[in-house]
Amino acid sequence: MAQARTTSTSRTGDAGGARIGSGARVRGRIHGDGDLVVEGQVEGDLAIRGELTIAEGASVACESIEAQSVVVAGALEGDVAASGTVRLVAGSRVRGNLKGSAVSIEEGARFSGRLDCEFDLPAELGGASPRGEARGRAAQRR
Amino acid sequence: MASTVIGAGITVEGEITTDEDVVVAGTVRGKLSAKESVTIEHGATVEADVSGGSLVVAGSLTGNVTANERVDLQSGARVIGNVKAARVTIADGAQFKGNVDMDV
Repeated sequence: MAQARTTSTSRTGDAGGARIGSGARVRGRIHGDGDLVVEGQVEGDLAIRGELTIAEGASVACESIEAQSVVVAGALEGDVAASGTVRLVAGSRVRGNLKGSAVSIEEGARFSGRLDCEFDLPAELGGASPRGEARGRAAQRR
Repeated sequence: MASTVIGAGITVEGEITTDEDVVVAGTVRGKLSAKESVTIEHGATVEADVSGGSLVVAGSLTGNVTANERVDLQSGARVIGNVKAARVTIADGAQFKGNVDMDV
């Protein structure tokens, strides 16, 4: 009966992870501990302590995503900030800014946005103090 | 295996809509509608209006419930809200406050 089903699925719940199935649509914020796999549609911000996987065929539209690591195989529109790695798999479509300790973009992935990696850029690239430098140059021209 | 699972550590604030089934072991606030079965596990917290094909509750649920088929409140469940379904069971040990509507 229904009870047998409850106990068999509770193991997934115990792991703390979550899955948004391919027929599901979430509008709102998702946060917490554990891994999250999105196979359906999500409109809203994601903040999880775990790995986020946006599967093939899934779509996520949000302002921001925070996770330990992110793997994208589907469509994503929004900024990503990962403490670990960000992987854009072949076939993925991503529009937004990516930030992570390492970012990889596979051949066949489409990406438009900025890449922000966790290291200090050399001063000539504007990493140290872009504002101060711009002001300095403007003053020199005068 | 359920197609959509909200794990124990996860909170969803907003609206979940699916034509498949849903298992909640974490927290959902907002609205939850599924075409198939909805399972709210022991330890889960749902503060939402819930609609589904059938509903099994073992956790905490605050909100109105509509099921096309049936609603089962299992032992340990804590439900505050109105329940509307053709078949409703309330197990010994389930807490329930609200109205039951079995009109079809």
